Amino acid sequence: MTLLKVDNISKSFNTLQVLQNVTLDVQPGERHVIIGPNGAGKTTLFNCITGQLPLNSGAVFLEDVEISKLPPNKLVHLGMARTFQKNNLFGDLTVKENLHLALTALKPYRYQLFKPLSNYSDLKKETEELIEQWQISDRQNVKVDNLSYGEQRLLEVLLALASKPKILLLDEPTSGMSPAETAQTSEMIQKLPRSVALLVIEHDMDVVFAIADRITVIHHGEVILSGTPEEVRNDDTVRQIYFGGGAKAHA
Amino acid sequence: MKNNLFIILILIISVSGLPFLLSGFGVDLATEIYIMAIFAMSLGLLMGFAGMVSLGHAAFFAIGAYTVAILGQFINNVYILILSAIIIAGLIALLTGSLFIRTSNFYFLMITLAFGQLLYALAWQLENWTGGADGMRVSATLDFGFGEIASPLAIYYLMGIAFIFVYILLKLFVNSPAGRIIKGIMENPSRMAALGYEVRVYKLLVYSLAGALAGFAGSLYGYFNMFVSPDLTYWKFSGEVMIMVIFGGVGTLIGPVLGAGLFIILQNFISSYTERWQLILGAILVLLVLVGKGGIIHWFGYFKEKFIIRKGTKNVETSKPIEEEREVIT
Repeated sequence: MTLLKVDNISKSFNTLQVLQNVTLDVQPGERHVIIGPNGAGKTTLFNCITGQLPLNSGAVFLEDVEISKLPPNKLVHLGMARTFQKNNLFGDLTVKENLHLALTALKPYRYQLFKPLSNYSDLKKETEELIEQWQISDRQNVKVDNLSYGEQRLLEVLLALASKPKILLLDEPTSGMSPAETAQTSEMIQKLPRSVALLVIEHDMDVVFAIADRITVIHHGEVILSGTPEEVRNDDTVRQIYFGGGAKAHA
Repeated sequence: MKNNLFIILILIISVSGLPFLLSGFGVDLATEIYIMAIFAMSLGLLMGFAGMVSLGHAAFFAIGAYTVAILGQFINNVYILILSAIIIAGLIALLTGSLFIRTSNFYFLMITLAFGQLLYALAWQLENWTGGADGMRVSATLDFGFGEIASPLAIYYLMGIAFIFVYILLKLFVNSPAGRIIKGIMENPSRMAALGYEVRVYKLLVYSLAGALAGFAGSLYGYFNMFVSPDLTYWKFSGEVMIMVIFGGVGTLIGPVLGAGLFIILQNFISSYTERWQLILGAILVLLVLVGKGGIIHWFGYFKEKFIIRKGTKNVETSKPIEEEREVIT
């Protein structure tokens, strides 16, 4: 069964057509990477899939259930989580407290009013598991504002992972990172279990080819090509988009 | 946790011990401070833990006070009256809040202000029920089933107990899952939605809770003052309680309590010397906001950092003092 199906969606802001009849799908466990030049509409596509923006036409299905009109918070409960291009964290809280907030979202006691959060042992346990798994125990009590940029990007992913999603949408996980941090993040993404499918927007081609099972190229809001990394690497149109029309004139 | 118990212990000791140090007038003043402290804590919860700055919070206080005054003419039962004050204030907060929370920042401030003024106009106009501009006497008596509580000292202890009860209740609330989530929503609502939270449900929850608590404070005030007037829902009163919160420290529970105490003491103290007490109070507010480091409560943290923590913490990680300080002040 197809996990995520984006069916022919379009989105415009006033007269500006940002997405035009975009169709793509993600299979369970698949690593699907979306590439395309700046302004191609990649983040808008994410915002449309995750309910941050309403669609003009088309529909989105998660496990054959239409989710196009659901708000972002409902989607988390259906198994879809996302990260943001710009770090979107709780800067005043510690790493641990950030994880607590992320983990509580799916707990039945999230409406519990008068019992201390610290009394819930399952929450404590799951937090520790995450901290251990990603080896951040030495940073767990540090205020997020005091983390390095790369560490914040990692936490961004961990918060989304906390809901144990079936599909995780990563919006430029390596944006603004140093080469070393980028390599680390790429490695981390490859380490994610296959129980979670990934839909990733990425600019760094090393990262793209390291993680992708399939690549979809978007240009001016339209899908140009969707195929294996090999197909995309050898495609002329893609080369033109990335190396510009000038190359074609000379060729 | 140790810090919490320590604060609660201090509160219990001061509430039970104060009457031995105070004159009759002092006891009266302290009683009023406890009631205002409950009111200020309810606004402090909204402002400091949910980021919702309301300039119409007195409306719920007035609803509580008028409930005791109006219903008290027909039913003289303190349990029913206080409970209905809480429920009516909470329900009205729930109903109006479901509209108000769709706005934020200035718009929220303006719409709550307008709501308070609307009730003010109503209290003024519905003369047959509310006594209009003349206000009305509270005829209900404080009788919990073992004789009327009439002596100032007994009323003092009653309000003191109510105050400590509300403090503990709120302390539990802000550390509960829902309380933490509400604070997360204040910091970053879009991320909280992306994590799976119903942002509006939580905002409505905290707004209704704050409204119900303000109603509780208002009902106590009705019994204490024996008289209610439309001024209780005027925007100036909402502004005063906001000043109490800012005096004491936004983002803490004990801050608004200290702010309420300081405000009422200053008000009484200065006004016994000059009619222009508001001028002096205003100047103090300006000074506090400019150099006060965010309210009285933060002086304690500052003091602790400067003189107590400093000694043994030379080699401690930078993250440590931040955490400790936060524990003190929340």
